[in-house]
Amino acid sequence: MNRIVVPGDLLADAPISIENTLIYDNKTYSAILGMYDDEKKTLIPLEGTWNPRRGETVIGIIDEARPSSYSVDLNSPFKGMLIARFVSSRLQIGSVVEAKVKELDETKTVMLMYAKKLYGGKIIDIPPAKVPRVIGRGNTMIQQITEGTNSSIIVGMNGRIWIKGGDVALATEAILRIVEEAHTEGLTERIAEMLKQNKKVV
Amino acid sequence: MEAGEKPQLIINGKRTDGRAFDELREIKIEANVLKNAEGSAYIEWGNNKILAAVYGPKEALPKHVADPERAIVKCRYAMAPFSSLEEHGRSGPNRRATEISKVTREVFENVILLDKFPGCSIDIFIEVLQSDGGTRAAGVTAAAVALAAAGIPMSDLPYAVSAGKIGDNIVLDLNKIEDNYSDADVPVAISPRTGEVLLLQMDGNLTKEELSKALALVKEAGKTITKLQKDALKRDYEKITEKYKKR
Amino acid sequence: MHAIDMVKGEYIKELLNKGFRDGERGMYEYRPISIQNGIIPNAEGSAQVDLGGTKILVGIKIDVDSPLPDKPGEGNLVTSAELLPLASADYDVGPPSPEAIELARVVDRGIRASEAIDMKSLFIEEEKVWSLFIDIYVLNYDGNLFDASTLAAMAALRSTRMPKYEDGKVIREGALPRLKVNSTVTSCTFAKINGKTVLDPNKGEEDIMDSRLTIATDGKYIRAMQKGLSGSMSYKTIEELVDISFDKSKELRNILDKAID
Repeated sequence: MNRIVVPGDLLADAPISIENTLIYDNKTYSAILGMYDDEKKTLIPLEGTWNPRRGETVIGIIDEARPSSYSVDLNSPFKGMLIARFVSSRLQIGSVVEAKVKELDETKTVMLMYAKKLYGGKIIDIPPAKVPRVIGRGNTMIQQITEGTNSSIIVGMNGRIWIKGGDVALATEAILRIVEEAHTEGLTERIAEMLKQNKKVV
Repeated sequence: MEAGEKPQLIINGKRTDGRAFDELREIKIEANVLKNAEGSAYIEWGNNKILAAVYGPKEALPKHVADPERAIVKCRYAMAPFSSLEEHGRSGPNRRATEISKVTREVFENVILLDKFPGCSIDIFIEVLQSDGGTRAAGVTAAAVALAAAGIPMSDLPYAVSAGKIGDNIVLDLNKIEDNYSDADVPVAISPRTGEVLLLQMDGNLTKEELSKALALVKEAGKTITKLQKDALKRDYEKITEKYKKR
Repeated sequence: MHAIDMVKGEYIKELLNKGFRDGERGMYEYRPISIQNGIIPNAEGSAQVDLGGTKILVGIKIDVDSPLPDKPGEGNLVTSAELLPLASADYDVGPPSPEAIELARVVDRGIRASEAIDMKSLFIEEEKVWSLFIDIYVLNYDGNLFDASTLAAMAALRSTRMPKYEDGKVIREGALPRLKVNSTVTSCTFAKINGKTVLDPNKGEEDIMDSRLTIATDGKYIRAMQKGLSGSMSYKTIEELVDISFDKSKELRNILDKAID
């Protein structure tokens, strides 16, 4: 049974060790606006910032170029950083990169690795909490969109998405719709229907 | 606090707007009304109309104000020059607004999990578009919703309301006229999970028993206010869920 | 401007070169416009305008004041604008920026030049006139503050109630007469991007525009103009945009007329 919870809401009369909760007096409370499943004991944030994890793919924009490193805008409270000598492409301010999270340093700067420059395309920013739904279980949702639009799409876990080629407008519309309806049932079918109805010969 | 001609605030046991002593004005709250802010809320509380918005967590600037261990909270409470029933409010720094900004900030410094965002700032903006007494309480109540809507982790969802004294009566939620001529005014913000006080101001004259009565009214009103805040946060999601529910 | 705005701007320029706007809008098409009147009853007049994602609230207050020394028989019109920090991550707390001041002065110029308000009618008695305060509150920024603010100011003015002055007191209650508004001014704002012009730029387009032109008209005359930013504009472009403004202003006046009833 799913229910929407807000900060301070009681989740369970026993301590449960999951993210975004607080334990007082052996009881577990939500610290966020989220969807709580009483049976599975999972709490999914409905909004909020991205929590960087090692190995995650991100899309960033170079916003500072220093002799030995680049600063990367990740649409997050925390900046990304790339060490220059490990980057093969020529990067400058405004370059778009796909990269992977290496680790967080003490100041919570996100150290990045395996940066690849992306050319052209369109960037949209969505709330990071909705990214899992845009990707879908086993990549089902994102594959459905790339097939239905013939676009190349890279989804950054930081909520930044790169779209190039194909029907960019339809891909954008599909993604924005998923953001709005992320918490509902039957979304995959509805998006499939929407893609089928609007498919243009590209 | 006495003016030359003091209006009758209580006639036949009822207040000027017909309310009972322990009755709240009508409150409506809507979340996510502004697109750019990370979170926002609009509240109508009696004739008050107030917008609250949150930006952040984001990099704290200038760098020298940042705290490397936790987020800092900034808060700005301001009133629109067209918000009052009387004259145009000329703009410029306003000491009352500065004080309200401070005590409001202190409410949220208590509940926001600040150490999750070192070096960051969380900015809260409260704009009073129309005022009719109790704006700081309405502002805190709306700001809590805006923060939750922004996905900012907090230990609780605070609410606030004022209580006061008119003649010998302790009453809840003073409107502007009552506030102007009351014998005491006590705005209070509460963390509902613990029942503890996060904001408390008072001026006028009160005995200890009268203060206790006022605080009790505040706590009782919290049940209604908290429900309105939660409904505002859930409403948009539940509307969409309903729309696509599998039958 | 942040690096991300540059990147989003590149995509917008790419589309424009092919003759399209992001979001499938025509080059001279307005985003959806909605107007709500009287939403701040404490004020003498008020209106909220939503133009795409831009949200503007205008409140009008009328007080008794002394006249300006060089205009003893006329009332005062004071227009201010605040780019509220809650409207955009790029707006800061502090005194009005040059952008806020320019916005207020341009809106003011259009209203004043069109003589929408007869300033002499605001005279009460010797040394006492009405001061009319128009306050433009930007609640959410998504481009084109000028057109949205002019619409909101006009809508607010046309539903403003005049207070009464009796026995040295200002009376704001009871049945009050409407403020007499003699004309309706609207503005059309264009952005020039890489040589192409578009009407009603959103934030993404304003981030990368080279220059901007706002043209306020009342149906018959041009009443105010303002060129913004450092890019240059040819006479030919300006004259084309004036033609488009006269045409589009009919649409805006229709929307205003429908909102006031």
